[in-house]
Amino acid sequence: MPDALIILLTTIFVNNFVMVQFLGLCPFMGASQKLDSAIGMAAATTFVLTLAAAISFMVEHYLLVPFGLEYLRIISFIVIIAALVQFSEIVIRATQPMLHQILGIFIPLITTNCAVLGVALLNVRQSHSFIDSIFFGLGAALGFSLLLVLFASMRERLVHADIPAPFRGAAINMITAGIISLAFLGFTGMGR
Amino acid sequence: MVLTGTLGLALIGALSSLLLSRTSKHFVNHTDEVVDAIDRLLPQTQCAQCGYPGCKPYAAAIADGEAINKCPPGGDDTISALADLLGRKVTGLDPSCRKASVATDEQVIAVIREEECIGCTLCIKACPVDAIVGAAQLMHTVIQSECTGCELCLPPCPVDCIDLHPLAMQPPHTVSPPASGFECIRCGLCEEVCPRDLLPQDLYWYRDSPSKLESLELDQCIECRRCDRACPSHIPLTDFFRSAKLEKQQQIGQANRAQHTLARYEHHLERQVASSQLVRQRPSTDEKASLLDAIKQKRR
Repeated sequence: MPDALIILLTTIFVNNFVMVQFLGLCPFMGASQKLDSAIGMAAATTFVLTLAAAISFMVEHYLLVPFGLEYLRIISFIVIIAALVQFSEIVIRATQPMLHQILGIFIPLITTNCAVLGVALLNVRQSHSFIDSIFFGLGAALGFSLLLVLFASMRERLVHADIPAPFRGAAINMITAGIISLAFLGFTGMGR
Repeated sequence: MVLTGTLGLALIGALSSLLLSRTSKHFVNHTDEVVDAIDRLLPQTQCAQCGYPGCKPYAAAIADGEAINKCPPGGDDTISALADLLGRKVTGLDPSCRKASVATDEQVIAVIREEECIGCTLCIKACPVDAIVGAAQLMHTVIQSECTGCELCLPPCPVDCIDLHPLAMQPPHTVSPPASGFECIRCGLCEEVCPRDLLPQDLYWYRDSPSKLESLELDQCIECRRCDRACPSHIPLTDFFRSAKLEKQQQIGQANRAQHTLARYEHHLERQVASSQLVRQRPSTDEKASLLDAIKQKRR
């Protein structure tokens, strides 16, 4: 298999950002109440993550390294991510007003989704090539979307389940997330 | 070192702000759709108990982040529907929105004590659905079928001649469903005797789900009571069907009424805008002075 495909598959399943590396848990818990909004959130995050991976690679290699500005890496990546998030918010507000109303605060919060900054920084640390970093970002985004959609559909069913009173609400969500995480740990060691 | 760092960051910032300003100009906001979707869930009584002049303004306020629990006529149904639409939490009705006279859950309408009315037309302007008819110096009266009981006509009345009366006109012959506690054994005997080939057993099981009843063609039931007699558990099936039918009819009536009230409210708003523009066309005091001067100079 080509390297890029291996990176894509391993970041979706083996090194899943949410359930194995525990990045991006805030939108995972916050935006998974309804399947519709979870799909919207997943699409927005995929867009931002993939683009952020590509642009941060270019900034790193054509701006930061040639001018010896590596110490500005985190702040410049944050600026890029914030701009991309704002861009996707404008697009969503114009094309999907209802989705924008439902997601509300969670769209700006993609900025603080640690998975996005994590992908940009890990790309630098693992010295990926340009194609590899795009696939790394896409894989992280698809893994996040998969988890978000899985968890949202599960939560829609959990609402109707007969759960003992002390476990209702956040408690059963945490337990469910833990069990999904266990399932993903089953992939450990594959692909490398 | 510091200079290149500053320049580099400034470059990134400038490029991203250029991108953002371009996109925000290119895409136009469509908040109307959201407001319309919210407005369709509101009861269209235009009662203003939420603190906004009508249902549409309240819908716009909700879209901007206002609480969803401020609609007493809609009650818990509206709150849960809005929470479902907007992904917010279901909360109890805001007690500050409920007026004292409506606290009894009883529908009220305004009635003018006609012998005391001085014909000032102030209440006519206050009514959001134009339910008060009358002319200056002539007695006014309330169109009972249009009044939503919002009390907005009470404060402007200079002689306090408007009372709120409980709406005596109850919906015609409601049949409350018989007390549950009957045990359907799912024998299917009722299905064999039904002359319209309906499924009385299924109709009974899904009696609380209107959409299911619709697909089971409850409307086709002719209330012949043959299923009642066939039932070995002696369930009064026909009574359940009759109450379900009436409930559906009432809901349709309410929806029609809401549409009608909305149309009246919009007409009221249009009229208000038109009259305010008429007032605006009159010259202001400054303009009057200059106009007078101009006329005087002409005469000279």
